[in-house]
Amino acid sequence: MSKSTKKVISIVVTILLFALSLVTIVPFIWMFVSSFAPNSEIVKITGGIFPAPTTLDNYANIQKTFNFFRLFANSVFIATVKTVLVIYISAVLGYVFSKMHFRGRNVLFGAVLSTMMLPWAVTIIPQYEMMVQFGWLDTYRSLIVPGLVSGFGVFLFRQSIGSISDEIIEAAKLDGAGDARIFHQIILPMSRNSIAALAIFTFLWNWEDYLWPFLMITDSDKMLLSVGLKMFNGQYGTDYGGLFAATSLAIIPVIIVYMVFQKQFIAGIATGSGK
Amino acid sequence: MTNVNHSAVRAAQPASGEVSSARRMLGRIFTMRNIAVVSLVVYFAVFMAYPIFSAFAGSLHDWNPLIDKYDWVGFDNFVNVLTDGLFWKSLWNTAIYSFFSILFRVVLGLALALLLSSKLVKCKDTLRGLFYMPTITPLVAVSFVWMWMFDPQFGMIDKITGLDISWLNDSRYAMPAVIIMTIWKDFGYATVLYLAGIMALPRDVYEAAQIDGANWWQTFRSITLPLLKPTTLLIVITSLISYLQAYVQILVMTKGGPGTDTYTISYLIYDQAFQKYNFGTASAMSVILFVLTGILTILMFKASGDNTEA
Repeated sequence: MSKSTKKVISIVVTILLFALSLVTIVPFIWMFVSSFAPNSEIVKITGGIFPAPTTLDNYANIQKTFNFFRLFANSVFIATVKTVLVIYISAVLGYVFSKMHFRGRNVLFGAVLSTMMLPWAVTIIPQYEMMVQFGWLDTYRSLIVPGLVSGFGVFLFRQSIGSISDEIIEAAKLDGAGDARIFHQIILPMSRNSIAALAIFTFLWNWEDYLWPFLMITDSDKMLLSVGLKMFNGQYGTDYGGLFAATSLAIIPVIIVYMVFQKQFIAGIATGSGK
Repeated sequence: MTNVNHSAVRAAQPASGEVSSARRMLGRIFTMRNIAVVSLVVYFAVFMAYPIFSAFAGSLHDWNPLIDKYDWVGFDNFVNVLTDGLFWKSLWNTAIYSFFSILFRVVLGLALALLLSSKLVKCKDTLRGLFYMPTITPLVAVSFVWMWMFDPQFGMIDKITGLDISWLNDSRYAMPAVIIMTIWKDFGYATVLYLAGIMALPRDVYEAAQIDGANWWQTFRSITLPLLKPTTLLIVITSLISYLQAYVQILVMTKGGPGTDTYTISYLIYDQAFQKYNFGTASAMSVILFVLTGILTILMFKASGDNTEA
């Protein structure tokens, strides 16, 4: 193949892929454009594919009808707290499982791993009853505590920390560093890729989690956004403009988290999926 | 435990030599390892083992929290579930849903990853980001967007295709519509996993194949595909586990309808548990789902193992 044919093929393939990527982004664009259109315009049968964006009313209204920003702030708070805790706990456990020895290590690790294939349906009813017994309904403890140990997270960190050489740790020990110091000053900084991958997933999973927060929180001031969106769709099902606006805003935080961590993300996934 | 108390008592005493030895002892007991392992075991017992046990116990009871009922019924729940037509219909729907979602996720994911890793394609990071967009957006939000897109009145799908289909209200199209949405949402994850897998492929094997004069298809069939098998297995198994548990897209888009045409097993459990409050029935179903997930996962690992030996 000559250099110029190669160049032509390269351009054609790239353009084709960009055309294909339209499929993934057009729904978002459609939602975003529609969020600036009045309801009458959105539901017009004779209208074009994209309704004409002419108004900011939808955004002005969602605070009134949805208490949107309250729910939004609640979700940001819970997802952030949970993400930080899950990453820290997963890293500690990953370190313990990969670099320390104790009786029953493999059995315990196997148990943690097996939670990944445990359907939510199995534990949700007993956990629900447990939260009622603890008196944790309508508190954020019920949203944070039961999901702190992530099988996926522990697995990811065990893989990546396992690949850090023992010599580094031994050398630090000879210098008199304790476990905690080795963990915080050596292991954590070397686990940037896993932290990035887990941050993206944990934030997303907590941001989109629906059933558990729906069961736990009934106080509308403490409600999370995913539950709110679903609920207000029932109440104001015909206020499409408002729902479009609220949904558009609801995807922004996860995209920000992704953009912050995306550089290390692929490498983080690679350590988790390899071998 | 006695050690701890003992040293704590000693540590309270003023003698300085004793204090430092007690401290050393405490230090040996409260290591990062011990604290982590003990907390994990306690946490696991409370939030995992006990709920799993309760679910099994609950499946043997007529259990309804609204009327405070918890009566032993033996295996009646299981008999009822296994003779219930809707259970089998949901299971069948779940099979269809999972099969097509996984098939397209793997094929699309692999094809795009191969393209994105070839030298021919420019702007790789941008493209990767675009393909990954749906995967990082919340499922509840995305389900709404697709519900509106499928709307026969103002949805963009009918407008673009010129079709006049009431997707989510037509029993022929409701399940395909949910599957399309799922594929759209999830293929990016497979793409990224395959990209990571492709990055880790050994270069020298490809150079050898090139020297032997293998064409693109031969290289793909006999080198790339077999070497990517662990990635494929990972994608298929994690997809299967998550699709067996899928309910949010059903809840938002169709509520199992029209009729019961898009009931999946996890939506059925949700329905039994939190709309009808038949906790006993729901527990029996969840135990069946748990066993099914376990069997399918093991079978898949086995099947893939046999292939490598052959």
